[in-house]
Amino acid sequence: MAKVILPADMGQLWEAMEAHPEARLYAGGTDLLVRLRAQAGPPPALVCLERLEELRIIEERGGELFLGAGATHAQILEHPKVRGRLPVLARALASLGSPQVRNMGTLGGNLVTASPAGDSLPPLYVLGAEVQLISRKAGRRLPITEFIKGPGRVDLNPGEVVAGVCLPKSEGWTLQHFEKVGRRDALAIALVSLAALLRLSSEGVVEEARLAWGSVGPTVMRAPQAEAALKGRPLGLASLGEAAELAGQALTPIDDLRASASYRRRVAGNLLLRLAEREA
Amino acid sequence: MRINFVLNGEPRRVECDPDRRVVDLLREELGLTGVKEACGAGECGACTVLVDGQARLSCLMLAAQLEGRELTTIEGLAAAGQTLDPLPASFVETGAVQCGFCTPGMVLSARALLERAPAPSRREIRQGLSGNLCRCTGYQKIIDAVELAAARGRGDEPWPR
Amino acid sequence: MNPRGFQDGRKTSRDGDLAKARGLEMFAADRYGAGMLWAGVRRAGVAHAAIEGVDTSRALAAPGVVAALTHADIKGSNRQGVIQRDQPVLADDRVRHRGDAVALVVAETRQALAAALELISLQLSELPAVFDPDQALAKGAPIIHPGHAGGNLLLGGRVETGRGEAVLAECAAMVEAEYRLPWQEHAYLETEAGWAIQEDDGRLIIVSSTQTPFRDRQEVAEALGLDPARLRMIAPPTGGAFGGKDGVSVQSLLALAALACPGRPIKMWWSREESFLASPKRHRARLRYRLGADSQGRFQALAAEIVYDTGPYDHLGGAVLTLGLEHAGGPYRIPNALIEARAVYTNNPVSGAFRGFGVPQVAAAMEMTVDLLAAKLGRDPLDLRRLNAVRRGDIIAPGVTLTGSTEIGQCLDRLEAHDLWRGRRAWKEAAGPFQRRGVGVAAVMHAVGYGPMVPDVGNAKIELGADGVFSLFCGVVEMGQGNSATYGLLAERVLGQEPGSVRLIQPDTDRCLPSGSASASRTTFTFGNAVLGAATLLRERLLARAADALLGVAPAEMALLPGRVRHLPTGKELPLDLLARLMTPEQRVAVHRHRAPASTQRPSADPVLQMHGLPHEVFSFGAVLAAVEIDELTGRLRVERLITAVDCGGLIDPLLAERQVEGAVVQGLGYGLYEEFLAREGRVLSPDLATYIIPTALDAPEMETVFVPGHEESGPLGLKGVGEVGIDGPLPALANALRDAVGDCPRRFPLTPERVLEALAGAGERGGRP
Repeated sequence: MAKVILPADMGQLWEAMEAHPEARLYAGGTDLLVRLRAQAGPPPALVCLERLEELRIIEERGGELFLGAGATHAQILEHPKVRGRLPVLARALASLGSPQVRNMGTLGGNLVTASPAGDSLPPLYVLGAEVQLISRKAGRRLPITEFIKGPGRVDLNPGEVVAGVCLPKSEGWTLQHFEKVGRRDALAIALVSLAALLRLSSEGVVEEARLAWGSVGPTVMRAPQAEAALKGRPLGLASLGEAAELAGQALTPIDDLRASASYRRRVAGNLLLRLAEREA
Repeated sequence: MRINFVLNGEPRRVECDPDRRVVDLLREELGLTGVKEACGAGECGACTVLVDGQARLSCLMLAAQLEGRELTTIEGLAAAGQTLDPLPASFVETGAVQCGFCTPGMVLSARALLERAPAPSRREIRQGLSGNLCRCTGYQKIIDAVELAAARGRGDEPWPR
Repeated sequence: MNPRGFQDGRKTSRDGDLAKARGLEMFAADRYGAGMLWAGVRRAGVAHAAIEGVDTSRALAAPGVVAALTHADIKGSNRQGVIQRDQPVLADDRVRHRGDAVALVVAETRQALAAALELISLQLSELPAVFDPDQALAKGAPIIHPGHAGGNLLLGGRVETGRGEAVLAECAAMVEAEYRLPWQEHAYLETEAGWAIQEDDGRLIIVSSTQTPFRDRQEVAEALGLDPARLRMIAPPTGGAFGGKDGVSVQSLLALAALACPGRPIKMWWSREESFLASPKRHRARLRYRLGADSQGRFQALAAEIVYDTGPYDHLGGAVLTLGLEHAGGPYRIPNALIEARAVYTNNPVSGAFRGFGVPQVAAAMEMTVDLLAAKLGRDPLDLRRLNAVRRGDIIAPGVTLTGSTEIGQCLDRLEAHDLWRGRRAWKEAAGPFQRRGVGVAAVMHAVGYGPMVPDVGNAKIELGADGVFSLFCGVVEMGQGNSATYGLLAERVLGQEPGSVRLIQPDTDRCLPSGSASASRTTFTFGNAVLGAATLLRERLLARAADALLGVAPAEMALLPGRVRHLPTGKELPLDLLARLMTPEQRVAVHRHRAPASTQRPSADPVLQMHGLPHEVFSFGAVLAAVEIDELTGRLRVERLITAVDCGGLIDPLLAERQVEGAVVQGLGYGLYEEFLAREGRVLSPDLATYIIPTALDAPEMETVFVPGHEESGPLGLKGVGEVGIDGPLPALANALRDAVGDCPRRFPLTPERVLEALAGAGERGGRP
């Protein structure tokens, strides 16, 4: 039998983590409990974060939007500040798992699992998310690109937990786009996904483009060359086609059972073309 | 460990290991075998229960997490709403029940959906049930059933005898 | 009668679905209780090996372990199977696939069981293995069953009609193609489960999720060396089966465990991963087709070569092959044909029965080939099918004359008249940016019943209880089709009772009578007729007894009404409970045996093919119209509409028939678009529902089902089977729709976005992933 601790406040959390340094932390259980099921041997002590209200906060803080790591996908998805202002994130979360998984899984879980196919991650990359970490004694904050170091690898020290992410104030994006290609329409793991933020001039010229892809590399991937290729040009099939080409070169997908690397590379570029339809 | 929670409208105190999966606690200790298990990994929805009104997977919840929660299983669907829930009978009438192994979880997901959206479109129903796999029906009659139950819930359709 | 709390299933036909919707139905997995033990098996983990030793001593010494058993503990043949008994209960001399059960452990808890299974030590000496049917048939291939006369060929079948394939050379137009269909996993929601107990008198009660309780009894008895009378098999409604529970899974293992642990209830319930590893799949197949027509488009000749990968055991592989062979040319007149089919042993996971039973593979190949021919001839594909579609009296490719009702022509007419077909050009042109649209057709037929040799028999038993309520003792299993409700309905009609008033007793070898498997689109067709017979017999007996009781009036003046018998001239009534008490228990029971008609045609002289089911007498027919939208950027294929026209003869309950078709269609759609059971060197690469993708509610389309009027003389109330015909058409209809949309179609399945994108790029097979 494993110990299961449900700290009710942060003080109890630090105590639990100090008393059981080997303990595994989880919130929704949709990743960790699935992995533990496949593991032989005695289960580790578990610390469940679901009761920590401090981690479930969604609020504006000094011009930033703070999304608590313990907030469930459903909670974030339904929050007016996300629904209305961050459709790129809302669409990604709506495509994640299933209603039950969205009711259980949390943003922090998606971050710490750090799968290149994590559905919430490409939007967080283009939104310039910073990850807030806390421990009993201190806190630190780092860009998501530094927090996530590789598949399943994150910059998290012993005694630290993810408190949430901070999203800088929206910078007047004309177009927010998310598309996920899966093997089916629900309960699907992304074969490729794309999050895009575009700011266009009144003439339809791209002033800024931010692009991030899921499932085409060890982490969510950006392609600065592709972003640069769009900048200063009218949004259309010509510019997007060129960006698609450059993106295909920049990404480093692998073959797996779900799709080949060449399919992922091709489709990652193709997904940009969809932006032509979505001209603002 | 002693756990206090409300099960199908009744306050309960159970003694069990904290890491016992909720699906096992319900089926093996509490006799609620309407909660099914078909994958153990959150991929099928057969073990769906309502926790504080939200559809969750009892195969990915540990007993300790029940403390202080309100849990509804298929057996308690009617009790929780005080009145007879129109969903089970609607499932029968539209032919939405075949082998029946997915049905309890499906009905509970539908209940959670109708709480949020009393008049869902067929597309919304499909989305609301997209975490519950069914291998027998092809889903169409299940969508019919939820549409019918929604109309009955709103008073737009008469209830069966 | 009610062993240790076993729930009796005393539910009337109306209650069954409601009990399920309220979570009250007791499935085989739902039994728990004080003192219940858990049983589980250690599986081999290697694909082919000689077993040098199995050491259970450490497991036996582990806490909470009650028994640890090997083949040495089995007193019988240790072999089970339907036709060739070639599958061990616990592997003895060798392991033939990774999922072979080698040792059985019984423990007090699941945790103790899991720990003990890890402690079993296997001494295996690996043998060269074979995973490809072609390689399995090559000279020098490792032989999987050294005693089998055909080497690795489980069964080969060949039918030649007319002048055979020679006619292809004379055809005005000829096309050829090779197709590969993947394994399909049943993925029933309820994995294999059951429980058993050895009673004080030594009898074994085995409750399991099965399609074949009576046949299981024989197999278990033989394998374990038991008197069949010592076994009582009980089959509650299954939580899905689709052919995958047509045979023994947990039954022998539970019986063996119960022999070792008398008096204790023992439960076994496979995990999803164990189910995927050890249960049979739809046969993976490779099919090479050549089809020729004259300049008018009339089919002249077919050559078909079909190879089924049957895995290491004969889980009905020979019968699957034979049905494939019979349906290889589809519902068309084809005067010259050469059809060759082989079912080949490999060290892959076991293949076996799955709704469709060999037909989905050949229907896929035939219907895609027909579209290739239509393109070559410049003909409309629906029109070409109508031209060649069989009518009653016509002869299909393997030389079988259709003597029963044959309404494929009506099915195709209904599709041609459908607004989707008539408006297809405008609909296709309205595709949005980056989208392409296509509409495809397929026509199929599906045999009903077992074929000419294996007796297709139902034995119905109906009793008027002392309480005045009728009980119907079902001989075939309820798998969710609603077949038991249909039997109830048939009995109620004949007995003049209110709908839903007859009690249904689910199969129990002590109380019900053997009536074959719940499979082959036969349950209602065969057992329904048996019910009609038994109900008629009982009605006559009741009327006669009532007439006697009312002092000599004529039975013809009596009417059987809900709950009573009435003497019509006088209005005198006798309630059924009173009538029941005037009769002896034996008088109140009627039994009727019905054997479905068996074809007397002999299109092949091969007795082995006859034994495996060639030919059939009765066929259902179907035609599918599918509309798809393809995304050019991703290769995503979306099914926009799907219409199925079905000839299943008369309809007893249209809702039940429709739900069979819809369910089969979405399984067929999954086969075409999503489902790819993968194994490499016998190792399962799609071990669970996260990696084996079946359709969700968001992936299934809105469907339309059209039943064409028909009547089959030999069926109860004119009906034919409807359980399988719906699964044969979706895959080829979708593939043909894809070809219509983009001009090409992969010949490997499922149609993943990647394969679709390749087709779009014109790459087709070349460059395709294996």
